[in-house]
Amino acid sequence: MKFGHRFKETLKKEGFPPDWVESAISYSQLKKCINRLTNELAELGLEPETLRKLLKHVEDYNAANRGDDDRPLEYLLSGEQDDGESEKKPESNQLFHPKLLFYVNESTGELDSAHLNEETRHKLQLLALETGMSNVRVVEEPQPTESDIPPSSPTSGIRRRAGYRTVEVPLTSDSEFFSRLAAELSGLEDLQEREEKRMHAEIEQLGRQVARLTDPDRRASRKIINTWREIFQVYVESGIFFGTTEVDHGGHDAETAAERFQRFASIVAEKGLVDRLKGSENLRALNRFMGINREILQGLRFGEINRTAMTKILKKFDKQSGLGVRSTFPRRIEYPEFSEHLAKAVCAEVHTQILSSVPQLDDYSCPMCMDIKWRPVRLRCEHTFCIRCLIVMQTNKQHYCPLCREKTVIDACSDNLDTELAAFLKKWFPQEVKQKQRYNEHMAGVDQYGEVYTDKCCVM
Amino acid sequence: MALPKRIIKETERLMAEPVKGISAVPHEDNLRYFDVTIDGPGQSPYEGGVFKLELFLPDDYPMTPPKIRFLTKIYHPNIDRLGRICLDVLKSNWSPALQIRTILLSIQALLGAPNPDDPLANDVAQKWKEDEKGAIETARQWTEQYAKP
Repeated sequence: MKFGHRFKETLKKEGFPPDWVESAISYSQLKKCINRLTNELAELGLEPETLRKLLKHVEDYNAANRGDDDRPLEYLLSGEQDDGESEKKPESNQLFHPKLLFYVNESTGELDSAHLNEETRHKLQLLALETGMSNVRVVEEPQPTESDIPPSSPTSGIRRRAGYRTVEVPLTSDSEFFSRLAAELSGLEDLQEREEKRMHAEIEQLGRQVARLTDPDRRASRKIINTWREIFQVYVESGIFFGTTEVDHGGHDAETAAERFQRFASIVAEKGLVDRLKGSENLRALNRFMGINREILQGLRFGEINRTAMTKILKKFDKQSGLGVRSTFPRRIEYPEFSEHLAKAVCAEVHTQILSSVPQLDDYSCPMCMDIKWRPVRLRCEHTFCIRCLIVMQTNKQHYCPLCREKTVIDACSDNLDTELAAFLKKWFPQEVKQKQRYNEHMAGVDQYGEVYTDKCCVM
Repeated sequence: MALPKRIIKETERLMAEPVKGISAVPHEDNLRYFDVTIDGPGQSPYEGGVFKLELFLPDDYPMTPPKIRFLTKIYHPNIDRLGRICLDVLKSNWSPALQIRTILLSIQALLGAPNPDDPLANDVAQKWKEDEKGAIETARQWTEQYAKP
């Protein structure tokens, strides 16, 4: 299937909001532009084959280090008023003034290239006489003050050559093409900003709701906390949009993310976590959470398809016109990192605003026993461990902090108990704390009376 | 004695999120004893080799380091003929916050950066210092001969 068709279909059936679809890259319109441009060029006798031969790529040109004679034509994407200032204005659709330039001998009006056939040469010469020589389109001064291309690059500015005049081939469809594409890209950027703002508000709201639903001081939420905690744990472990392990790290593409999201949803369902969420408000919150994730996913997909559309249309431009812009255009304008950026920003929000409402045990476990840090002892170096592990270390005469190797373990005493953290743990992890407390007491007994010690003796 | 929570958690994580080029599988009848393989790091004479090791977690782990030994013959200045490894974090610089995965990563790194100034296998270290090219060539041959999967 042709890409244009597939692009249209995807936009239609993915259920993107109407304003997104409107902002999408107008692939078929741009394609028509290219067709018109090809016709314009053909009329001048500049077939893509010819152009490709004439427009040496910068790299070829530099590598071969040949004289200017081999490069009688140039295609520049910058305009005369491209002084860096105009680029800042998002509404300046006229940012792009592409120019197809060639050089003619000032005295004879003769075009100097061996690559052109007789007819084309004739046409171009006529053109030079008609336009270029009448000074209307002669570029008088080079503009080396380009904003983002180093002046040393041969494509920047217009080179002056003694005895030659620079003539511009009058083309209209190419400016139309680039103006349109640039306008659409900035439109996409605006859309992204709007979406980010909207999502931000929604996530913040949901964060507050979850915080209220799981407030441990509220009676109704006591049983719910663990369910929410489990849901969020599965969520984090699913690594939907980003991987955090050695093997799988960095962002995911839409397809992987969709797959991971599906897996997350099915694990939540399998574990019966939805049924355990009592009350309609909890269910509504979960639905909103799912909805936000679905939206991130959709944004990711939208970004990907638009980026593909841009790459494809530029490729088509080069193939059909032979003007070779694909290597220079992306340097002039960046495709807004719609998908990745949005996903990144929104994911961070989800973590800070929503997930943090419910503390996870892993964030409060002792790095030595990997159990809850009960009772927490804060060493002088600010690292915290559970009291049991530190007692064992002190008995073993291991004096250095396991994390920073500072000699702080030896000095730890009852003053180092972190009462604030202790209260926090007791509030959020009552069951785990109780269990660990029992274990600590048991181990203290073992220390005192040896391996035969059991809890039951303690009761006697 | 029941297996401490820490060992269970570490094992679970090693299984769920394995480290690239490293595997560690506990024996069914002794969950403190692991069969380990480490892939030789790229751009080292051990590249392409798969090295077998054994790893044992003593009773007082993590207060004391795991006991690790190469089973595959390897030509390396910090690993002796019995497969014993000279690595600070396995001895004096052990910390109970280190884990099986971090230690195995350290060993993999040691393969990529031999340290002949702190030798365990004196003859190998000597050779490494006098004729590094030759030593690397021998290491490559040993890899070819003993560590091919």
